[in-house]
Amino acid sequence: MGTIMKSTFVSVFAVAAALGGAASAQDKITFEYWYGLGGYLGDVVQQTCDRFNESQDTYQITCVGQDGYATAVQNTIAAFRAGKHPTVVQAYDAGTADLMMSGEFYPVQKMMADFDIDIDWDNYFPGISNYYAASNGELFSMPFNSSTPVMYYNVDDFAAAGIEAPQTWEAFEDGLRALKAANPEKCAYGYAPSTWVDLEQFSMAHGIPVASQNNGYDGLDAEYVYNTTQHVKHMEDIKRWLDEGLLEIKTSQGGINSRDAFAQNQCSIYFGSIASHATVHASAVEGLNWDVAMLPIYEGFERTNTVVGGASLWVLSGKTEDEYRGAAEYLKFLATPESEKFWVSNTGYIPVTRAAFEQLTAEGFYDNAPYKGREVAMKSLTFTDPTPLTRGIRLGGFIQARSEWIAEVEAGLSGQKSMQEALDTAAARSNDVLRRFERTYKGKQLP
Amino acid sequence: MSSRGKDMRRAYFKNNWIAALVVAPQLLIIFVFFYWPTSQALYWAFTFEQPWGGGNEWAGFENFRMILTDGRYWDSIRVSIVYAAGATVLSMGMALILAVFADRQLRGYKYYRIGAIWPYAVAAPAVGLAFRFIFNPSAGIMSYVNAAFPGFWDPILNGDHALLMVIIAGAWKQVAYNFIFFLAGLQSIPRSLIEAGAMDGATVLRRMRDIQLPLLAPTFFFVLVINITDSFTDSFGIVDTMTAGGPARATNLMVYKIYVDGFQGLDYSGAAAQSIILMFLVIALTVIQFRYIERKVHYT
Amino acid sequence: MTQADLPLAAAAGSAEARAVNPPRKPRMPGLVENTPVLNILTHVILLTGMIILLFPMYLVFNAATLSLQEVNAQPAHLLPGDQFWNNIQEAWVTRDFGQKFVNSLIVALGVVTGKIFIACITAFGLVFFDHRLRMPIFWMVFITLMLPLEVRIVPTYAVAANALQPFQMIMDWTGISWLIQTVSGIEVALEWNMLNSYTGLIVPLIATATGTFLYRQFFLTIPDELVEAAKMDGAGPLRFLVEILVPLSRTNIAALATIMFVYSWNQYLWPLLIVTDPSYGVVAVELGKLVPDTNSTGGAIPNWHIAMAGTLIVTVPPVIVVIFMQRWFVRGLINTDK
Repeated sequence: MGTIMKSTFVSVFAVAAALGGAASAQDKITFEYWYGLGGYLGDVVQQTCDRFNESQDTYQITCVGQDGYATAVQNTIAAFRAGKHPTVVQAYDAGTADLMMSGEFYPVQKMMADFDIDIDWDNYFPGISNYYAASNGELFSMPFNSSTPVMYYNVDDFAAAGIEAPQTWEAFEDGLRALKAANPEKCAYGYAPSTWVDLEQFSMAHGIPVASQNNGYDGLDAEYVYNTTQHVKHMEDIKRWLDEGLLEIKTSQGGINSRDAFAQNQCSIYFGSIASHATVHASAVEGLNWDVAMLPIYEGFERTNTVVGGASLWVLSGKTEDEYRGAAEYLKFLATPESEKFWVSNTGYIPVTRAAFEQLTAEGFYDNAPYKGREVAMKSLTFTDPTPLTRGIRLGGFIQARSEWIAEVEAGLSGQKSMQEALDTAAARSNDVLRRFERTYKGKQLP
Repeated sequence: MSSRGKDMRRAYFKNNWIAALVVAPQLLIIFVFFYWPTSQALYWAFTFEQPWGGGNEWAGFENFRMILTDGRYWDSIRVSIVYAAGATVLSMGMALILAVFADRQLRGYKYYRIGAIWPYAVAAPAVGLAFRFIFNPSAGIMSYVNAAFPGFWDPILNGDHALLMVIIAGAWKQVAYNFIFFLAGLQSIPRSLIEAGAMDGATVLRRMRDIQLPLLAPTFFFVLVINITDSFTDSFGIVDTMTAGGPARATNLMVYKIYVDGFQGLDYSGAAAQSIILMFLVIALTVIQFRYIERKVHYT
Repeated sequence: MTQADLPLAAAAGSAEARAVNPPRKPRMPGLVENTPVLNILTHVILLTGMIILLFPMYLVFNAATLSLQEVNAQPAHLLPGDQFWNNIQEAWVTRDFGQKFVNSLIVALGVVTGKIFIACITAFGLVFFDHRLRMPIFWMVFITLMLPLEVRIVPTYAVAANALQPFQMIMDWTGISWLIQTVSGIEVALEWNMLNSYTGLIVPLIATATGTFLYRQFFLTIPDELVEAAKMDGAGPLRFLVEILVPLSRTNIAALATIMFVYSWNQYLWPLLIVTDPSYGVVAVELGKLVPDTNSTGGAIPNWHIAMAGTLIVTVPPVIVVIFMQRWFVRGLINTDK
């Protein structure tokens, strides 16, 4: 391996790479898409790719599963820094801030306009599109697999206890007591600490801030304030319910997570993503009679919309026009009501456009099992128009902030400290993360 | 570092060209695939690096200051040391006992041997699931213990229990690895020595203690060093599947924290600084082992 | 005689017995001793150990025989169900294992061969030659154990995308590139892309601190007299290596090969990263797709029964290797006997 000249050398070693890809699609324009969803959801993603490839013969999309959102983002960054990145990547909500700050992407709304592809952007549910848009409302990434949390409850247990799905947390507590009174042996509420449900969506539904600067949308100098809001009261309630035996912790670390505990008829209630709707159906014990409802809110609060969770598709910079054209065609393909229907009926995710939702509703999609109940998520997501506090969350290093919250809440639940102290610590430590993020992107502004 | 080997070997070949030739391939590979990339990563420790490569700002020792003034980080160091000590003692102890007795080659020896090595072949997620079945406090094997002694086992909220659980799972996986090397070491002890011992009237157990174990010392030293190093650097998989660092950071091993901060959280600079600290810690431990433990090892 | 006076010791294989006393007869069955109590104790200890080691394995197998509901049921089903063949079939059909087995085999054999070869010659260079760089080089190799791939994956990817990047950059910095361009008018641009290739799957994993260390431990037990004798016979260092050291290190090779085969067979993150072309996929990554993703926002079905069935399928080759390598353990033993 000495000094070998470009002309000969590159050709010799380029062979290895060339042998790999394009044999099947020599005259087609090929581009890559890396996705994070794993398991059977990953297979459904793969099917959307196959359907796209069959639908036309100009482009060939190569979809590569990266097994997990975090890995997908990480591997894409590694590849990006080496100039070998895919054209499209599926990035999760928590990875959004870094991607936005990097500027290394082609905003989808602009791309579609550049290629004269007409998309009715107003058709997207605002609770979804705001999450992925710039401050001026331009959509940066394409909403894809979307969900929002709901309350799953056991209808039979509720009937036995003589209660209805509670609208407020006060009624919820009464409900827990009624459930326990009706069946003292059974776990009433299978709980797993989750920032997404307990903090982020809880704050959205109550219209209270997670962080200053409108949850980070208005500047990198945001600070966490959740240790001063109703969130504290909620976490203190949870701790109290744990102590009183109204709630049991069910995490996969303890052997079974709250969703599976619910599906196995061990617990009467659990909170989780609407995307689990399909999963609970598939894995529930026979005869489990269950339904979903919107998250309760505390008395004295006006309910506001919840926001989207899941992931969106980003088009990365540094690709050729042909590849962008292919990516645009693929995204356009995904945005058709047929594709949306394919996606939502094969997974538990929700449609992202009004048109698709209305079409599905008109077809009676939501009238019967296994899809009945999923419209609750749409109701929650569109309950109000997004306010400055309910657009979403745009905070750097959010993964670390989530793990700080979890670690401290666990300390609070195990009684090492009071919940207030725990949340104070978590907020303070997460603020350090924000300051690091701010320094890393010194002199830059959120787009 | 150790000068042990040097003292012990007096017979050498003189042709250093050949020496250079035979060590070159490995050095080339580690230069390209380890030192070059690692040195880039370590540079990040002294900057604030943007994950997507948009540039960085010089930070000096700021990242180190942040980490080392964080009490939680010291907790993480403490937990890592407890884990390393626990997993190493447990897995080496068990492997050694099994190997020494398997080496007696009684009837069924071959099946014992396969049985002891087999677990090593199983992929990590399967191991994680199996241990979840075992340690699940409400429905696993431990639930029977909990039924008899309520509250005895609670890895969900009790950090000590969670750490113990991770140590046991980590040790279990490592037993097979250690067993293979111990057995290979024991089997190459010349039969003549053991026979001589037997003729001198030494009992089986006495021969194990006086002949086999001392002769196993070089293997033992090798296994010890590798186990301690591995338990510091290669343990995040088990933490990730079993406890995710919790509860309340009770199983937040150093390498897992690096993985979470850097790999998931995209804080490359913080993770790089932590990597340097971890490396120095493991290097220091290894040097100590070479200095003080290898001294007791008799090679030839 | 004292311990230190013992003629030899072993690091996973002692040398002298086999070298100085060539094998004369096949292994005799254990020493003839009448120790019934101890024998029972031995079996009790070994059986207890087996139960501890194999019980989790049983749970894996058991999970593979259950249905989706049963595998997630609580309390856990501890007795096998009747879904074993269905699950195995489903795992095999849903995932494209066929070609992946071939790839994994190529990679694992490549890695094992490479690791053993490179460990052997590196340790040889470090133990049998007298030069000042012995310990520094040993430590340079050893330190590679101390930072796992997960922690340095981003820059490592860059060298996989172009393995000659370090040399290019060094030449650019030192001005050699400039010099060549000025003199010959040719721009120096080195590129060796290892993505989506067997080379990329194998070469970066070949460096081995563990193997080098193991061989060092073994070579240190080789008595000086053996080296002297070889030199007396006029054997050069390479002949000494090939004709004496390699045959002596059989048990080493068997132990190392077993461990390293499993290690490379189960490699996950590296193939996941550098392979985007399915024709280079490996089984561990394919298996990963069966494992329910517990971190996504709730969509994954906990089909652990299929994942466990897949695990069993994927475990077959390593188990065969373990069983196959047993012969080498035994043969090493025969040679030791006198």
